[in-house]
Amino acid sequence: MQLANCLTEIGRQASRLAFLLLCTLVLASVIGCGATPPAYFRPNMVESTKQRLNPEQERQVATVLLAMFGTPDHPVALAETGLNEAKLHLAAGPVRSDIVGRKNGLYREHCAHCHGITGDGLGPTAAFLNPYPRDYRPGVFKFKSTERADKPTQADLVRILHNGIAGTSMPSFALLSETKIEALAEYVKYLTIRGETELTLIRAFFELDDDAKGTLPETREFLVEETLTPIAAKWQAAPAAAIPVPPIPANIDLVASIAKGRELFYGDKANCVKCHGVTGLGDGQANDYDDWNKVIVEADKEIRSGTEQASQASTAGMSPEQLADHRLQLVWLEKFHQVLDGDALTPRTIPPRNLRQGIYRGGRRPLDLYYRIYAGINGAPMPAAKGTVPPEDIWHIVNYVRSLPYEFDGELGADRPMVAPNRF
Amino acid sequence: MGSRWTGIFWSFVFLAVPVLGVATFAVAPAFDIWLPKDVSSDGATIDSLFMFILILTGVVFVITEGLLFWFLWKYDAAKATGPATYVHGNHTLEVVWAVIPAGVLLFLAIYQMNTWANVKMRRPAMSPTLEVVGRQFEWRLRYPGRDGTLGTPDDLFLVNDLHVPVDEDILIQLKSMDVLHSFFLPNLRVKQDAVPGMKIPVWFKATQTGQFDIVCAELCGWGHYKMAGQITIESRKDFNAWLDSMYAKQEATQPEPAAVALAE
Repeated sequence: MQLANCLTEIGRQASRLAFLLLCTLVLASVIGCGATPPAYFRPNMVESTKQRLNPEQERQVATVLLAMFGTPDHPVALAETGLNEAKLHLAAGPVRSDIVGRKNGLYREHCAHCHGITGDGLGPTAAFLNPYPRDYRPGVFKFKSTERADKPTQADLVRILHNGIAGTSMPSFALLSETKIEALAEYVKYLTIRGETELTLIRAFFELDDDAKGTLPETREFLVEETLTPIAAKWQAAPAAAIPVPPIPANIDLVASIAKGRELFYGDKANCVKCHGVTGLGDGQANDYDDWNKVIVEADKEIRSGTEQASQASTAGMSPEQLADHRLQLVWLEKFHQVLDGDALTPRTIPPRNLRQGIYRGGRRPLDLYYRIYAGINGAPMPAAKGTVPPEDIWHIVNYVRSLPYEFDGELGADRPMVAPNRF
Repeated sequence: MGSRWTGIFWSFVFLAVPVLGVATFAVAPAFDIWLPKDVSSDGATIDSLFMFILILTGVVFVITEGLLFWFLWKYDAAKATGPATYVHGNHTLEVVWAVIPAGVLLFLAIYQMNTWANVKMRRPAMSPTLEVVGRQFEWRLRYPGRDGTLGTPDDLFLVNDLHVPVDEDILIQLKSMDVLHSFFLPNLRVKQDAVPGMKIPVWFKATQTGQFDIVCAELCGWGHYKMAGQITIESRKDFNAWLDSMYAKQEATQPEPAAVALAE
């Protein structure tokens, strides 16, 4: 009798707890622990809208890219790209362990939240960063050891991953193993080549003759040999485009070199003060854009002028064709405006570097500064001194620039020294 | 009003709290979820203080929870059917159980003062071994170079890869470039908030070589969870060799030959 009561009571209490647990489980399953939909590459809407592609044409580009490059979870690397598919598989896809317990999905774990799944610099974090994360799709990289218009080498990409970019939100991945860094560099190349192919295909519609009826030829000849191979070839040619670096001039000591560098800095040949300012604070000018932001600024201008024109055109005297064109133009302007709202970050000017801070984005080695001055910075308004300044003299400018954070008797005078520790 | 078994059931539910609480701490070392390996000179004192407070509070915990169980059991409404009595309280008891914990706390405060002073107040008289600047989301390091002075052109700039010599006093100058961070070396029992605008000295002495973690212990933004670095403790000879090689790399005026890997 006692036992029955005991069990009833325990049963009553336990069933109360069990009921609560059941409610929680039901709630959890409704909210979901379910599979998220697979990631997908975003099309380059800014470019395809700018080129006035219609939906069928946009679909064709997407289909072709799917066949040539695969998806974020299953990348494809044609032999012509020169990419290593094994490395891509290590970096691609969701974060997970593979059959031997190795961590996969490196890109999504470390890079995608800024650079985006598509490598378009439109990840969820991107809008909050200054400077914006790199958009790989134009295939332009700033900090490399090759001539201005050439691609970075593998070593350049690995160096950026290893050291990060000081003064930006790009972190250092020095604590990752070399295998992982190489896999990430390979995946960045993959996204870049894909982006460049996409741009080329979108722009190819303009060149089509009337026979093609607005469709790209889906032949191996056109897609691989005429489109993909030249893009991949530029990447493979990168090591050959390395900047030649002469040794430091041996017949001049550091103080004299810095003095000579100062002359060149303020001189007409290099003309550094025009942008970097007579104080080296980067206040020479402030109204230029880098290539990525320039695209958006120009698109914005096009929309503004187009809208103004369209609003001023009077529809009264228009023929039916003119009226149809006018309406299409309005629709296109509206679409472009929406695309810029959703698929582009607010453009920012690029200020010339403040050389007094001792923070050098592309690296602080004298060699890195030599590269930046010799070839300029691809994608940025920094011009090349190559051709105007002899290579040995560039070393003098490098020495002067390196002394700027510690200079005590510069333009600002001895009573206001720009001492590096206070500014760090 | 429930049966007797309600009271028994819930008494045992509350008894599970001290039992499971003590059991968790007892089995934690076996599951490797206990204190990280200590390689610092002050670590043993800090850990022993931790254990002392843990045992002291643990005993009090078990006693009070045990009393809770006992009262639930003894004064179960199904069993204790006698009339309730009103008690005016016991002044002596109240004084006792206020004074004794106060005394314990005072004892703890005084007992730990020396260790606190060692770690936070008695700065070794030396120039900084390096400067650590917390930044979203990395640890920027700056070694003073051969001239021993920070802020001169021979400084060595690194990120996240901290090296120190073993068995030597290390003094770090801690700053922040943007927001609050906290420089946390779990294996050296060092934790100090990096406050923007302040230059805070942090010191320790490592007693064993090895590679350990640096983590950020103050929420600093979306990347706080991955603001980790690595501290390598090595012999003075290895440390000097490492400094020289990193400085040579920093001053490179020629590209590295292609065969040399960039893994450094």
